[in-house]
Amino acid sequence: MSKPSVIIIGAGFTGVATAYDLALRGFEVMVVERGEIASGTSGRTHGLLHSGGRYAVKDQESAIECIDENMILRKIAPQIIEPSGGLFVGLNDKDLAYAKPFVEGCLACHIPTEELTPAEALRLEPNLNPKLLVAYTVPDGTFDPIRLALAFAASARKYGAKFHTYTEVEQFIVDGQANVTGVKYWDRTNNVRGEYNADIVVNATGAWVGQMVEKVGAKVPILPTPGVMVAFGQRLAQRAINRLDVPGDGDIVLPQRRMMVVGTTSFEVSDLDYVPVIEEQIQEMLKRGSELLPGIAKAKQRGAYMATRPLIGSGNMGRSVARTFKCFDHKESDGIGGLVTITGGKATTLRQMAEKTADVVCQKLGINATCATKDLALVSYRDYYRQH
Amino acid sequence: MNEKQSLMTRIIVWFDPRWRSISFWGFIVNRITGLGLTLYLFMHLTMLGNLARGQEAYDGFIHFAHNPIFLVGEVLVVSAGIIHALNGIRIGLNSFGIGLRYQKVLYIGLTALAGIICLYFAYRMFTA
Amino acid sequence: MSEKWTVTFQVFRKKGGEAAHYDDFKIEVDPNEYVLDGVERVWAFHDRTVVFRHACHHSTCGACGMRVNGVEKLTCITPIRDVTSNGGVVKVEPLRNFPVVSDLAVDMGKFYTQMDDVGHNSVNSDFKEAIQSEFRPAGPESDKQEFMRLSDCIECGLCISACPVSASSPDYLGPAVLAGAQQHGIHGDEHLLRLVDCEDGVWRCHSAFECTAVCPSFVDPGWRIMDLRKQVVGERIKRLFGGSSNKNEAEVAK
Repeated sequence: MSKPSVIIIGAGFTGVATAYDLALRGFEVMVVERGEIASGTSGRTHGLLHSGGRYAVKDQESAIECIDENMILRKIAPQIIEPSGGLFVGLNDKDLAYAKPFVEGCLACHIPTEELTPAEALRLEPNLNPKLLVAYTVPDGTFDPIRLALAFAASARKYGAKFHTYTEVEQFIVDGQANVTGVKYWDRTNNVRGEYNADIVVNATGAWVGQMVEKVGAKVPILPTPGVMVAFGQRLAQRAINRLDVPGDGDIVLPQRRMMVVGTTSFEVSDLDYVPVIEEQIQEMLKRGSELLPGIAKAKQRGAYMATRPLIGSGNMGRSVARTFKCFDHKESDGIGGLVTITGGKATTLRQMAEKTADVVCQKLGINATCATKDLALVSYRDYYRQH
Repeated sequence: MNEKQSLMTRIIVWFDPRWRSISFWGFIVNRITGLGLTLYLFMHLTMLGNLARGQEAYDGFIHFAHNPIFLVGEVLVVSAGIIHALNGIRIGLNSFGIGLRYQKVLYIGLTALAGIICLYFAYRMFTA
Repeated sequence: MSEKWTVTFQVFRKKGGEAAHYDDFKIEVDPNEYVLDGVERVWAFHDRTVVFRHACHHSTCGACGMRVNGVEKLTCITPIRDVTSNGGVVKVEPLRNFPVVSDLAVDMGKFYTQMDDVGHNSVNSDFKEAIQSEFRPAGPESDKQEFMRLSDCIECGLCISACPVSASSPDYLGPAVLAGAQQHGIHGDEHLLRLVDCEDGVWRCHSAFECTAVCPSFVDPGWRIMDLRKQVVGERIKRLFGGSSNKNEAEVAK
């Protein structure tokens, strides 16, 4: 009996993790990506391995997802994680008022946290704002954006998945019964066009999922929401520094190699393929970042860019597999078979998104296979480029 | 590594100083002076070969060699020798991890020293 | 109010087996934007066939290395105002010494495989600093603390592109790979010793130091290669006198 086949469109975190999960479950996997691995939104993450502390008060379901996946990723992908931890820092009375709900939230979500006095915090991180009032430790971490994706992609390749990068999907192939049976592709490296066929197609194009399914007249309530990231050329802290407050703009400062990355903002945009950086937002990040680490005001800007998050808009469409990510079975929502869209989510929960998506795919095809990605260590990310 | 490039293209890369740092000049300078000195060695041996052909052949050549262009040539050869030697000391030390911190400073300093010695030699050469 | 410059991007093009050529794109840019932003604009608004690699946009992934006006640069952190002026030209070409996949994207396969072979640790706790002061990041003392941290080397390949020896000797391991071996350390590893102590390994370097000059990530491969030589010579001398713990000598002896 031949293996069931799947085409995954998009090689960002969702695409590569889903490819890995399905390949392990015995699928014939083909990933089609118009750029390089993680060249969409995924590559641009600042790289915060969430402890979940950020969501522990207002969104405990997400917080629990984060802390669970945080621990799993530390086990299966230590090759690309700085496990140095994080701090939530309170600078004023408003922040202080948040401390109690924060600690209770963390407790409820089994996120280990410890209170530090200002002196203790400054001993750990001498560059913090000396006027800080309190700090809490959390098990945050930093990961390398592209290498996390490459590690999943390399592991998927090990189990037979094929990757076609620089290959853009131009149109879906639909049969007479409104079922998607494949894609029409355009290989941009040599201007060659052709077709790929599969039993099912997974649309994992992140912020672009809406544009992709429009090609077959389907809809997905995606709200692409870009935000700015600014990188400064000095590593002023060894841990992720978060603002002790409800999630807002510019409240994360993350060490990434010899830089600090400050993010982010939130606004809407219509053209996803190029979002220019807005100078005011860079200034906002500079201001907010230096509230936590005054050295940022004097540090040299090394880079600035926009990253478009795939936020799920409101609406009752789609099977809610979790609060922050959704799997849309287009047979149910648009009467189109053979097509599934997965979008939303955050980098830290990529493995879980893939697990849930793979579950849906298996269910649709009537295949009995369970997820095996939780305990298996990922192969070396460099193996992605190895000639097999 | 692009094997399709011709040998010529690949070698020219060694001597193309455009858009390169000052340390690269140290690299180029040693290759050019090295080639120059090798070429000189062949010429010198050929010239000495004249000795085997007897007194007149040798004298004839020495007379020919009083042409000012040979003096310039001599200055160039000695300069090449001095530059190659001093730069070579830097490279030799660097090759075993010594003085790497001051690699650039050493290069500039030794080249300046070589320059001074060469100028002095040229001065002596043309005023003797 | 942001400034606007009109800049011509001269982009190297190559598709399949066709001959290479350059396409000119006159675009309006903010000079504080980065060269990568310019290339992205060219793709988004002018020519969707342009192929290029990019991911993080903040010098941590190493995907966007290209030659800009002849010099190797990490295009996501190279402001346009640093490479040209209003009305000027920005010539963008793929890295040298790598096979070109298409346009500005090169094949990193052999390189990544070699980095794996020398055992470069992508996350490590030893923080040897770039020796040459002009290539050291101006950081506070906390920069030097020992933490498990992502390695400085982002495997961008700029050093290999700039190395004149890599240009003329295709089998030369190259600065990044040798620097990776130095970071790992020989420590009596027979396999690694054999890999680097050879004609196309640590001895082929001719001290051009272009690698250190173009490295965007404070690796200082020039110094690391020379330090690796010290390690190799030390190891050989130890063996001469019968010392050194040979990790896999038993396997190799079989």
